[in-house]
Amino acid sequence: MSAEKVDAGVAGLAAPVRAGALVVCDAVSRTFRRGGVEVAAVRAASCRVESGMRVALTGPSGSGKSTLLHLLAGLDTPTGGHLSWPGLGGLPRERPGTVGMVFQGPSLIPALDVVENVALPLLLAGLGETEAVERACAALDRLRIGELGVRLPHEISGGQAQRVAVARVLASRPRMILADEPTGQLDHDTGDRVVSVLLETADELGAALVVSTHDAQVARRLSRCWRMDDGRLGIEAAS
Amino acid sequence: MNRIWLHGLLRRRAGRLGMAAAGVAVAVALLASLGAFLASSQASMTARAVRDVPVDWQVQVQPGADPAAVLATVRATPGTMAALPVGFGRADGLTATTGATTQTTGAAVVLGLPDSYRATFPGELRTLAGTDHGVLLAQQTAANLGVSPGDTITANLLGGAAATFRVDGVVELPAANSLFQAVGAPPGSQPAAPPDNVVLLPEARWQALFAPLASTAAAPDLVRTQIHTVRGHVLPPDPASAFTQETGAARNLEAQSSGSAVVGDNLGAALDAARSDAAYAQVLFVFLGLPGAVLAGLLTAMVAAAGADRRRQEQALARSRGVSNAQAMRLAAVEAGSVALAGALIGLGVAAVVGWLAFGSVNFGATTVSAVAWTAGAALVGVLIAAASILAPANKDLRWATVAAVRRSAEPASARERGPWWSRYGVDVLLLAGGGLAVWASSGNGYQLVLAPEGVPTISVSYWAFAGPALLWAGAGLLVWRLADLALRRRQLVRRALRPVAGGLAPTAAAMMARRRRPVARAIVLLGLALAFAASTATFNATYQAQAEADAQLTNGADVTVSESPGVRVGPDAAAALAGVAGVRAVEPLQHRFAYVGADLQDLYGVAPATITGVTALQDTYFQGGSARALMNTLAASPDSILVSAETVKDYQLHPGDVVNLRLQDSATKQLTTVPFHYAGIVNEFPTAPKDSFFVANASYVAAQTGSNAVGAFLIDTGGQNVTSVAQAVQARLGASATVTDIAHTRSRVGSSLTAVDLAGLTRVELAFALVLAAAAGGLVLFLGLTERRRTFAIATALGATRRQLRGLVAAEAVLLTAGGLAAGVAVGWLLSQVLVAVLTGVFDPPPAALTIPWPYLAGTALITVAALGAAAAGALGQGHRPPARELRQL
Ligand SMILES: Nc1ncnc2c1ncn2[C@@H]1O[C@H](COP(=O)(O)OP(=O)(O)O)[C@@H](O)[C@H]1O
Ligand SMILES: [Mg+2]
Repeated sequence: MSAEKVDAGVAGLAAPVRAGALVVCDAVSRTFRRGGVEVAAVRAASCRVESGMRVALTGPSGSGKSTLLHLLAGLDTPTGGHLSWPGLGGLPRERPGTVGMVFQGPSLIPALDVVENVALPLLLAGLGETEAVERACAALDRLRIGELGVRLPHEISGGQAQRVAVARVLASRPRMILADEPTGQLDHDTGDRVVSVLLETADELGAALVVSTHDAQVARRLSRCWRMDDGRLGIEAAS
Repeated sequence: MNRIWLHGLLRRRAGRLGMAAAGVAVAVALLASLGAFLASSQASMTARAVRDVPVDWQVQVQPGADPAAVLATVRATPGTMAALPVGFGRADGLTATTGATTQTTGAAVVLGLPDSYRATFPGELRTLAGTDHGVLLAQQTAANLGVSPGDTITANLLGGAAATFRVDGVVELPAANSLFQAVGAPPGSQPAAPPDNVVLLPEARWQALFAPLASTAAAPDLVRTQIHTVRGHVLPPDPASAFTQETGAARNLEAQSSGSAVVGDNLGAALDAARSDAAYAQVLFVFLGLPGAVLAGLLTAMVAAAGADRRRQEQALARSRGVSNAQAMRLAAVEAGSVALAGALIGLGVAAVVGWLAFGSVNFGATTVSAVAWTAGAALVGVLIAAASILAPANKDLRWATVAAVRRSAEPASARERGPWWSRYGVDVLLLAGGGLAVWASSGNGYQLVLAPEGVPTISVSYWAFAGPALLWAGAGLLVWRLADLALRRRQLVRRALRPVAGGLAPTAAAMMARRRRPVARAIVLLGLALAFAASTATFNATYQAQAEADAQLTNGADVTVSESPGVRVGPDAAAALAGVAGVRAVEPLQHRFAYVGADLQDLYGVAPATITGVTALQDTYFQGGSARALMNTLAASPDSILVSAETVKDYQLHPGDVVNLRLQDSATKQLTTVPFHYAGIVNEFPTAPKDSFFVANASYVAAQTGSNAVGAFLIDTGGQNVTSVAQAVQARLGASATVTDIAHTRSRVGSSLTAVDLAGLTRVELAFALVLAAAAGGLVLFLGLTERRRTFAIATALGATRRQLRGLVAAEAVLLTAGGLAAGVAVGWLLSQVLVAVLTGVFDPPPAALTIPWPYLAGTALITVAALGAAAAGALGQGHRPPARELRQL
């Protein structure tokens, strides 16, 4: 990877924020086969995420929110339609650090402690160990879980693990943050705090933020609301 | 419910269950194959022991008893195929006059043989010169008297007059030791050597001379009669049972004859020896087979353990849905049962194929009973392994009652965890020390691994000898674990070591490895032990083969050996003619004389010290007081040096440099002349020499002192190629004047019956299994460890890890495992090879001076193991780079 791309991602603060669509979805579908039965998780969804956008992705459980977020992050491939990342310069997987994803389920590596987990994407992007650890600690402090640093994932609670996952995204300073139900396992106050941190960070980085949730209160804090229902994406106007 | 569970189980865990079943199959197949080897080798030991006995029974007629009556009793004994009377008379000296000189010998034995004796007992006599019948002289007697067929000798019969015979032939008595045994005497009071002088007469002639003496009551033991007997060889295949049956029959005959007959039971004695060889075969089975089966068991346990986390989660989940403990155990039992069943069936199938390929038989034993026993035993071990590796952990898992508990207990064990419990008490060091002591005690002088007192039906194997290697195996395994654990804790060290493979991710790789110390250390131990098993087995086998070959070389002398007939006088220059035969690389003349030291007659070998090592291998263990090379140099530098047996050194209190006066026959006068030598060293073994005492001297010195350079044998080097055809060509050139033997023929005859056992088959089986175990230990364990962490790799991929970075992480683990396993394998393998050879010294003949290292096999094993590890790493990477979303969605 070239130094320029690293700059654009990891050291993104200094980089110029280009306007325009980061990701464009054009009639994207994702169908799963399970024991001969086809399950359409996402049906012909069309949307675009632009820099600075704040989107709440709502919808009942099983409506396809996670699947759509995985597609947007480039972690899954669509079975139909077209998907591109014009503002990121290509597939996010080949542009490490451009997209940060907070997963719905546990996503920490069991054999690494909290700081090592948070620092991992930075090391993967080519940062030196010392700097990566410094940034990781700063991100943890910001989420008020700095004291968890040397614990292993199985030694912290599910809610704490989710905040660590958020910290991991913050530390890598992406241009698009995708958070899959980041408050799902948190009490109301903590969840509020996490959403605030996500919003602040997105503001600082000039990054786009998409948060899936079925908590109306959380959804209200974001300027747009996309609604999923049985795989179909409905986009409401900006509020 | 069980059926549904089993279906789901089989679908989800097909791979892992299959691998566990494969582990069980390896253990079952190894045990069943070795059982087949053991059973078939015991049967072939019996057959071979029986085949080589020239006379089964020598029934001695007691003084005063009627030989004809005893003969009738023997013939009437069930199992007797043929019986012939043999007369033993004595003479106090033999005389012969050839030309102007007269030679006289000491006491002689005069045998009376029926005409059909030679046909009935073909192993007892071998004609060297002259005719097959009439008056025959033993080879050494003919040499002592300087006579050949046609000459006349006179015998002074003890208790009778002198008798004169015309010599018709010269014979060798290959079984002289048993022929002239003191029948009925205990093993300790047998004559040290057969008589020097033997005359063989036709029965009628012998009767005419000795029958009158037999009735003289004054000297009852001057004349004796033995009934030589051929027994029907329908014996149990196992030497121990055959021995019991055969000695029982002999004792029965003695009882029947009510004291008028005593049985010299050569057949029983041969079976007696085979019995201890069979015990050794059993010992070999335990030493070489058990570690393999234990390793296969450990491998199975490891495979099962690799799924432990997921299984615990499933079990906790099942429980939260109302499945009871008893039900959960029943489900685990179903799992273990299907693994055991599949493993046992596959294992027995493999063993049948292996038996067919290696031993040419699909039987697991020589008899139906042993076949059933071996099959059932091997299958039972398979069931035990499946139970221990699946059922036992499942039982333990019941403690993890809730999903949360599972999560909290999940691997990796806490980073703050201290070392394994046993390492705090130094159990590994204690085991090693105990093992070292046990090995020291059981390989010292005078220690008998297998004790089979002659003639006693019980045979005892010292099972203490197994303690040493067993403790060392366990101790070495734990020590490797401790060292791996220590090394993995030193993260800086691991980080630096992994930098070339993992690059910038070396700290991450080191951290992961440090947290996964337990499984990684366990994998290193398993791989190390599997490699050590392969290395020690291969080294033991190679050393054994090398010594068996040395034994054949010692017996035959060289690739091809020409033995000159007695009376035929051939000089060393005849070597030139032999060197012209196609395929001959070098020819070395070897003198063979008889020499008296005091009243003792011993063989004397005259060698050309500068060239003898060119045609035959002289190992350092054959000598004492210097290496083979050093002692040959001494013989060359001081031609009157002589090497003597350890027994002679003790008997005559010799010190280096002492003068040894031997009496040798002078070629001109045919009289014994005294030749002075200087004692220079001890020789225990020498090509073509007998097992008991003999001398080795410089051939040109012997020739100068006796006025004859006559050669006893020519040793021919063919480079080990085409020995049989070269031997035939040489024989064709020489005609009947000499006997030509080749090493291929000797190889099939010499040695204990243990050598006769198809050790090559055992070797192939062992080494193939060892290879499979080593490759499986490396590949499987790495693969499972990596697939278990598919999630880890999926997360890393989702966080932006490139293919190269993933490869670095996987390679880091593979490299660590390979390096650790190979290092442990080399160290433990070396130790165990030494121990095996030390503890099993008894099976070696001659004892080895050094280990023979089978480099090609070892290199091949290392290569295949590394390839298996590489393939496992590549396979895991292939899985790891699927789109990560699906992996992340699971839990
Ligand atoms: N790997 C998969 N295999 C089969 N079906 C799946 C898979 N992943 C998701 N689905 C199905 O797709 C649908 C959408 O799931 P998901 O995107 O997780 O919804 P949400 O996040 O809104 O709860 C569900 O019906 C789910 O069962
Ligand atoms: Mg979801």
